[in-house]
Amino acid sequence: MSKRTSSINLSRMRKAFALKPISAGVAAVVLSGCGDRQEAFIYSSVDECVNDNPEYATQCQSAYQQALEEARRTGPKYNSEYDCEYEFGANQCRVQDVGGGSFWMPMMAGFMIGNLVSNRSYYYQPMYTSYSRYSPLRYRWMMADGRDYGDLRTRKVRVREDAFKPKPAVNRTIKRGGFGSSVRAKSSWGSSRSSGWGG
Amino acid sequence: MLRIPINERPDWRRRAGEFGFHFHTMYGEPYWDERAYYQFTLQQIEKDLEDPTAELQQMCMSVIDTVVADEELLAKFGIPELHWQAVADSWRRRDPSLYSRLDLVYTGKGPAKLLENNADTPTSLYESGFWQWLWLEELVDTGKLSKGADQFNSVQEKLVNRFADIAHHYQSEQWHFACCKDTEEDRGTVQYLQDCAKEAGLSDRFVYIEDIGLADTGAFTDLEDLPIESLFKLYPWEFMLREEFAKHIDEAQVNWLEPIWKSILSNKALLVMLWRAFPNHPNLLPAYFADEAGKTDHGQWVKKPIFSREGANISVIKNGSETYATDGPYGEEGFIVQQYCALPRFADNHTLIGSWLIGDEPAGISIREDSSPITQDLSRYLPHIIL
Repeated sequence: MSKRTSSINLSRMRKAFALKPISAGVAAVVLSGCGDRQEAFIYSSVDECVNDNPEYATQCQSAYQQALEEARRTGPKYNSEYDCEYEFGANQCRVQDVGGGSFWMPMMAGFMIGNLVSNRSYYYQPMYTSYSRYSPLRYRWMMADGRDYGDLRTRKVRVREDAFKPKPAVNRTIKRGGFGSSVRAKSSWGSSRSSGWGG
Repeated sequence: MLRIPINERPDWRRRAGEFGFHFHTMYGEPYWDERAYYQFTLQQIEKDLEDPTAELQQMCMSVIDTVVADEELLAKFGIPELHWQAVADSWRRRDPSLYSRLDLVYTGKGPAKLLENNADTPTSLYESGFWQWLWLEELVDTGKLSKGADQFNSVQEKLVNRFADIAHHYQSEQWHFACCKDTEEDRGTVQYLQDCAKEAGLSDRFVYIEDIGLADTGAFTDLEDLPIESLFKLYPWEFMLREEFAKHIDEAQVNWLEPIWKSILSNKALLVMLWRAFPNHPNLLPAYFADEAGKTDHGQWVKKPIFSREGANISVIKNGSETYATDGPYGEEGFIVQQYCALPRFADNHTLIGSWLIGDEPAGISIREDSSPITQDLSRYLPHIIL
């Protein structure tokens, strides 16, 4: 019996392509093939949803509205327009007053809807995308928690039920830089190697 | 165990670029070195390295049982009192660990000797799990090495499976990965772990250690203010537990990789405790706390800080007096002494074996050579085969 890894998919270990938008295939593997997942759809507008599901026009409309509300509550928040645009792209952010504070938040780019045609009530989640060349999620659907749901052409996805659990509301980060001070202290010791703490 | 010179693949540097392996040359010196390889027999691998690695791991686990129950030892291990409970709880829950690397002295015959356990932040993982694997594939494919050549290296396969198991254990698919800024090697190692996690179906986000934030909810956050639920950190616990955010670790309720109980294993005091618990075990070297009287009066000993990396602050003591010392910033938390055990020499190189554990399973080896008798940060990495 061989003592080594039997096979490695080299195309997935290649980094020269990592800067381009990741192909749809990568997400497809992540999102399919497990029994306990359910089908959901991502729409960029109410019209798209209605075209797909003419008999559920009311649900499309209300899911969109509810997703907008949810986006206000749980969407990524930034202290500056610059930070938000760095992640989501130029003109993709606007200032919102949320819970006593005022933040820059990306605009909702679409909404995910699940369980639309069953008798139980549907699930919804706001969806975002990035147009920033600095973001690994450029032209991809993501949820407020940063989970990647494939490129913008993706409509049908299989998701775990927990994808529809309300996301924890994100509060303000009150402080950064509380880790990492030792590395600065130790590296000032002027070894041939200025950093790196593996052993 | 043989060291056999061989021609480099003519295009390996281009190939390295293609796969994002950028730290193959560091500080102008070669780090990845394929001008030679080491050859082992299957018997050497299985009987002398793989089995002892599994056994040493079990021995280490039994030491943790002793240490978490003993406040004096926890103090001796330099674990701040504020975190004794967290360490004990994490161990009692058996929070899963991802990986470790045991450094072994092995000459090709006789028992391998444990030099230390890099249980918290081991590197050279990418070179081991992927890059030396690819080297063998390509040399076999081009007929430069026999089709019968194998390698002790299921690191990548086991890492992917281990990530899937750990994600299932915590019911957490969203993982953050972190290392310090300005280190290409650490970033490369973390990227490799992200790749393995992705293969396991997890979602991965990266944040630098220095950028981790604390939210008013008590959670740690990334730069986008997303809460960090589960975090792989290539940053030692012994640093984290002494830094400003240390007091927020409990409340942040992160699923940590490595778990906080690894602070006991990645500690040179472990070597002392192993020798106490398993005296004269063939895979151990005698080791004592440096303040135990009279231990170094005779013979040759290596004195190491209980926290030390990259061979820093190490001295050699011969019949009671110091003969060789390396410089460095460590040592304030105490020292241990370990019986000196010379690394075997192959073609003027001092050769050290790193034996990987993924979870508790032996998963492969890596080989480093150094021109000095204490392996430091400029050692070179060489591939190996089994034939």
